[in-house]
Amino acid sequence: MRALAHLLVLGAWLAGPAAAAAAPAVPPAPTRWVTDGAGFLSPSVRQELDARLEQYQARTGHQVLVWIAGSAGGEPIEDFAVRAFAAWRVGRKGIDDGLAIFIFAADRKIRFEVGYGLEDKVPDIIASRIIREVMTPRLQAGDRDGAVVAGVDATLAAISGTSGGEGAAAGAEQGARRGFEPGAVPRSARRPGRPLGLGQLILFGIIGLAFLILLITHPSFALFLLFNLLSGGRGGGGGGGGGGFSGGGGRSGGGGASGSW
Amino acid sequence: MKYAAIGCLVVLVLGVLIVGGSAVGAYNSLVQLDQAVQAQWGQVQNVYQRRADLVPNLVETVKGAANFEKETFTAVTEARAKVGQVSTQVAGGGAPSSQQDLDKFQQAQANLGGALSRLLVVVEKYPELKATQNFRDLQAQLEGTENRITVERMRFNEAAQAFNTKRQSFPTVLIAGFFGSRFADKPYFKAQEGAETAPKVKF
Repeated sequence: MRALAHLLVLGAWLAGPAAAAAAPAVPPAPTRWVTDGAGFLSPSVRQELDARLEQYQARTGHQVLVWIAGSAGGEPIEDFAVRAFAAWRVGRKGIDDGLAIFIFAADRKIRFEVGYGLEDKVPDIIASRIIREVMTPRLQAGDRDGAVVAGVDATLAAISGTSGGEGAAAGAEQGARRGFEPGAVPRSARRPGRPLGLGQLILFGIIGLAFLILLITHPSFALFLLFNLLSGGRGGGGGGGGGGFSGGGGRSGGGGASGSW
Repeated sequence: MKYAAIGCLVVLVLGVLIVGGSAVGAYNSLVQLDQAVQAQWGQVQNVYQRRADLVPNLVETVKGAANFEKETFTAVTEARAKVGQVSTQVAGGGAPSSQQDLDKFQQAQANLGGALSRLLVVVEKYPELKATQNFRDLQAQLEGTENRITVERMRFNEAAQAFNTKRQSFPTVLIAGFFGSRFADKPYFKAQEGAETAPKVKF
């Protein structure tokens, strides 16, 4: 019976999430449009900007985030940006029309990460110009609030300015009306799991049967085992989720621009 | 006796069904992962093409201000032509199926990257050129493209890894072996020492 228990544990281990691939940690998804982890902006400006971006998303569907932190910890900001963008799933599912502005206050670096769906509206040239011509001069002059607000202004203008007029706007409106509410979309909107292969079904069947036998012969041990398996299996999952909003997009091909001041 | 025969038959049929079913499942999942690799290869080619497309414009812009740096221009143009050749030769019909082919492709691309960074080093000598809007835009595009290349290459390796993991795990490995080179292991992009790093010239 001991051997059987080992088999059970082994089976659960084999069938468990093999996707424990080693990916460096990304901060949990932000819960607001503007996140300031470095005290970079004055509170009133932060709130105002946040409300504006919230409205902007409700109106046009485009999710534009500002994320400010102290330091990227030596990692290239481009790598960080593309991973965070994917993990937070910025933008709408399928069209990936999100944009995230990362500011690393201590490193004095800016990164625009543009989702696939906005690459034509905010090409690298535009993103780079916004950093170079709009944000950097203000930052060098010490006007942090002004730099971020002007940068966001220019970004929104770029997104809607060349968006192809009424048609695109109407399409975006429709998207917004489809009930795309970032706060309301649960983080658990995961990709649908692939259906189980027959081999896996059989494996699960055998494990299930073995467990039933164990339940009849050693009920308390079986329950103990079950409890352990369930709690153990869930362990790693936490982290990233937790109330963060997500549009379901998040695919970006490294488009955008970087700069420093 | 009759029942025993029927019982044996049922067991046999069930066995065949199970084996056949898992074979079909393994085959299908290999096809699916193979397609993911192919799609990602398309992305990789896209971004490399994007860089190649920038070259003529970049060369023209720099030529205007620095006409006597002939060698550098020739190196870039030649590297670009070579990239075109190797791409059609090695990867014309989808993702390269051998590590050797992919290495060849990567080598050609790395040469172009190297030639481009030397061009940018040359530009350092011409501050008035660096300051022009046109050059700065090209610079931004080039930087963006290099970053895209990094991202898409990484995703290609992920897709290839997913395929290879599935292909080598049991029982899929039996099915894959059955089809020979149809499901050969996918090659990976390798990190290159220095040559492939983005030509980052900060201003």
